[in-house]
Amino acid sequence: MTAFLTRRRIRIINQVCWTVALCVAAIPFVFPFLWMVSSGFKSAAEIFGSPSLVPREWQWRNFIDVFNHQPFARQYFNSLYIAVIVTALTLLVSSLAGYALARMRFAGAALIALLLVTALMIPEEVTIIPNFFLMRWAGLVDTHWPLILLPTFGPQGIMATFLMRQYFLALPRELEDAGKMDGLSRLGVWWRIALPMSRPALAAVAIITFLNSWNLFLEPLIFVSSLDKFTLPLALSNFTDPYGTPLWHLQLAATSLAVVPILVVYIIAQRQIIESFALSGVKG
Amino acid sequence: MADTLPMRDTARREDAPWLTLKMREAMEAWLFISPTLAGFLIFFGGPLIAVVWYSLTEWNLLTQQATFVGLDNYNDALFRNPDFWHVVRNSVIFAVGLVPLNMALALVLALALSGRFAGVVVFRTVFFAPVVTSAVAWAIVWKFLLQGEAGFINQILALVGIDGPNWLREPNWAMAAVIVTRVIKMVGLNMILYIAALQAIPRDYGAAARLEGASGWQIFRWIVWPLLGPTTLVIMVITTIGSFKVFDHIYQMTGGGPENGTLVLAFYIYQQGFQFFDVGYASALAMIMFVIVMVLTIFQLALRRRDT
Amino acid sequence: MTSLSLSNVKKHFGRVEVIRGVDLSVDRGEFVVFVGPSGCGKSTLLRMISGLEDISSGVLRIGDRIVNEMPPARRGVAMVFQSYALYPHLNVRDNMGFGLKVRKAPADERARRVAEAARTLKLEPLLDRFPRELSGGQRQRVAIGRAIVGNPEVFLFDEPLSNLDAELRVHMRSEIASLHKRLGSTMIYVTHDQIEAMTLADKIVVLRDGLVEQVGTPRELYERPDNLFVAQFIGSPKMNILPIGSVAGALPAHPNRASHVGMRPEDLKLTDPGSGLVSGRVLLSEYTGASSLLHVELPGGEVFLVAYDGQTIDADTALALTIAPDRLHFFDATGRRAT
Repeated sequence: MTAFLTRRRIRIINQVCWTVALCVAAIPFVFPFLWMVSSGFKSAAEIFGSPSLVPREWQWRNFIDVFNHQPFARQYFNSLYIAVIVTALTLLVSSLAGYALARMRFAGAALIALLLVTALMIPEEVTIIPNFFLMRWAGLVDTHWPLILLPTFGPQGIMATFLMRQYFLALPRELEDAGKMDGLSRLGVWWRIALPMSRPALAAVAIITFLNSWNLFLEPLIFVSSLDKFTLPLALSNFTDPYGTPLWHLQLAATSLAVVPILVVYIIAQRQIIESFALSGVKG
Repeated sequence: MADTLPMRDTARREDAPWLTLKMREAMEAWLFISPTLAGFLIFFGGPLIAVVWYSLTEWNLLTQQATFVGLDNYNDALFRNPDFWHVVRNSVIFAVGLVPLNMALALVLALALSGRFAGVVVFRTVFFAPVVTSAVAWAIVWKFLLQGEAGFINQILALVGIDGPNWLREPNWAMAAVIVTRVIKMVGLNMILYIAALQAIPRDYGAAARLEGASGWQIFRWIVWPLLGPTTLVIMVITTIGSFKVFDHIYQMTGGGPENGTLVLAFYIYQQGFQFFDVGYASALAMIMFVIVMVLTIFQLALRRRDT
Repeated sequence: MTSLSLSNVKKHFGRVEVIRGVDLSVDRGEFVVFVGPSGCGKSTLLRMISGLEDISSGVLRIGDRIVNEMPPARRGVAMVFQSYALYPHLNVRDNMGFGLKVRKAPADERARRVAEAARTLKLEPLLDRFPRELSGGQRQRVAIGRAIVGNPEVFLFDEPLSNLDAELRVHMRSEIASLHKRLGSTMIYVTHDQIEAMTLADKIVVLRDGLVEQVGTPRELYERPDNLFVAQFIGSPKMNILPIGSVAGALPAHPNRASHVGMRPEDLKLTDPGSGLVSGRVLLSEYTGASSLLHVELPGGEVFLVAYDGQTIDADTALALTIAPDRLHFFDATGRRAT
């Protein structure tokens, strides 16, 4: 009897229990995705019919109707190109400013750092009203400019600046000195020495910025009104009949189209992506 | 040695006393930082000052004229409009429900997943997946799952003989649903912060304690938990501030309803400013939100400073 | 011919003055070593010469140009860093050629110079490796190679050997010395290791608290230190110093203003108790192979160091010490040499 419960066996039993518990805990994390995709294939009639994960009849037409209901391809492209521009701009602007804050001596550096820290803590909701008037004054309402400018220069961009600064501070200074001795200008040191050595930080900024732009909701909701200028999150909430009732089968098919590619990339690069969030969480 | 290297180009800038190395460095630094600084002033500094001014005015929608009304908007919020306190109450309930649940779950998951065993990466990936998903998509799917009688959750509950409520149509259930689905969406973030902190604890500590005969629970209680202190603080404040900013999730899932049961501060600002066009009042609300977040942040900085 | 000169050069960070007025002139082809305790400003001074730190006041000339406000790369200097500072994302060839590339030298010129430097330093087999694939000594050599490629007027070395183990240090030291012979360039070398300073230098500059204590050849510094600080900083084991009063009776003729007398451990000879300059008891005898280091306690309680290569002496043995009169160093009350 005592021989049965060896230390080894206790450990195995322990591990099995943990694994089972984790599997159960994982259900609400995984199931919504499965149900989303499965329901996207169901007909309007079946969708509230049976709680079956596999559709009785695979309704491929949903994925065509999605594009007929509104300019979904155009909206998809909008999200993509805006996210790419925001990411590129943020990388450029934040790594320049972060480098100056980390490495260069100039009067006012401390004051600027302090100003930017305050900006870091202010939610977008606080400044969104004046920004709306600003954009209207500049004639940029119902364009994509606000969706590019506000995230790049808002709290997201500033967080990226501090993330870059933190990373630059940890780089060996003598390497940059060597670059200067070799004849590089400041811009050259930044571009050819500091940036190539900061790939992890740049990757983190890129990943977080891209996702943030991709998932942005408040700004599109406020600034964009034409259907063909919508971004994905806005488009997804727009699959309704004329009375505002959700067309669930279309909405879930569209949501699947929006979410699944991101999930695939996430699963491929999960390590890198999770680390990026850890890096920014610790610093921010 | 004949030497024609450009290094010896003595002709150019042999001496430019008007431009010292120091000035050069400062100039370059300002160039580096100017895009960020300009962006900050245009899209942040300016609007922050403007919102203070707006909050002291009343806007006439027809004439687009602003009239100075002093603290009227704040008086409205704090003393006259019962909605405001209802919204504050909702925000507090949301935060009080979300923060402890999120943190406790994050810690448990982190403890289970900080080690190395087969499948640990799969589990981490799974629990973190909702974080990278858009809040709108997440809310859409859960809204679908939580439909009244025909919703999936209620159909499952019916199988075991429970008559589930109409989740998103009853104020209290709606609030609970919003909190729980938000926790599931965001818990992965705190989980990885906890995992990072756990992995930073030297293994020797646990080994030493084990040699002295400490049990697993004792090791956690007396060694791990105190060492996690700073992380816990940071997570707590970040999560609390985050909970005050939640907008897209609620917009999509309940639209603030039912009966304003899930109307929280960020949503209220949007509603007043962009649906009812009451710019003055919405600006006053924004200022109040600013103060709340500021206080929380300063509180966090003070705690962090005390720690280090 | 003067290669480089400093006149009344100062540096302050905020209100703290770290270099407090340095004058120095370096001849073409000279090997100059800056030495001093940590925090004396020797590295800062080197970085000011390189242009990596700006000069608060004073004049720095390289060749016949005033270069105070000239960017580092235009000064005609090259630097070898303590951490080697090799670009991790470039291989050895590209590391060495980087400076030429930045200055837009033609590719064939670049290849030729890199090849030449690689031959000089026997780096040819390593040219395609990355820094992380090199040993410490190899990295050091590449760092020197990078400096050579630019064919600078002045080489600057910032404690280049301090990250190497003892054996490699001795080896690299001799390589640097022979490199200097071969190239004949001006070299300025910072170290806190006085053996390195003594073996490499044509001229040593001893720095303390941002001021020059003495400039001279190794022999001058060792044999005629200008002051107490230099006397004790140069030489190992360090010079014994006694107040003149405690040995006055036995001393030969000496300057009136002398208040301290210094004796190097290696100049002292053992003699019979009762005679000699000072006497005491052996506290400890450290055998180091070639010789022993005796710690001798004087009646006044001071401990004297004596280098001794005779037979083993037991602790507590009473003995007396003597020294050739021309081996005595006298210092006045302010610490300056008094002869």
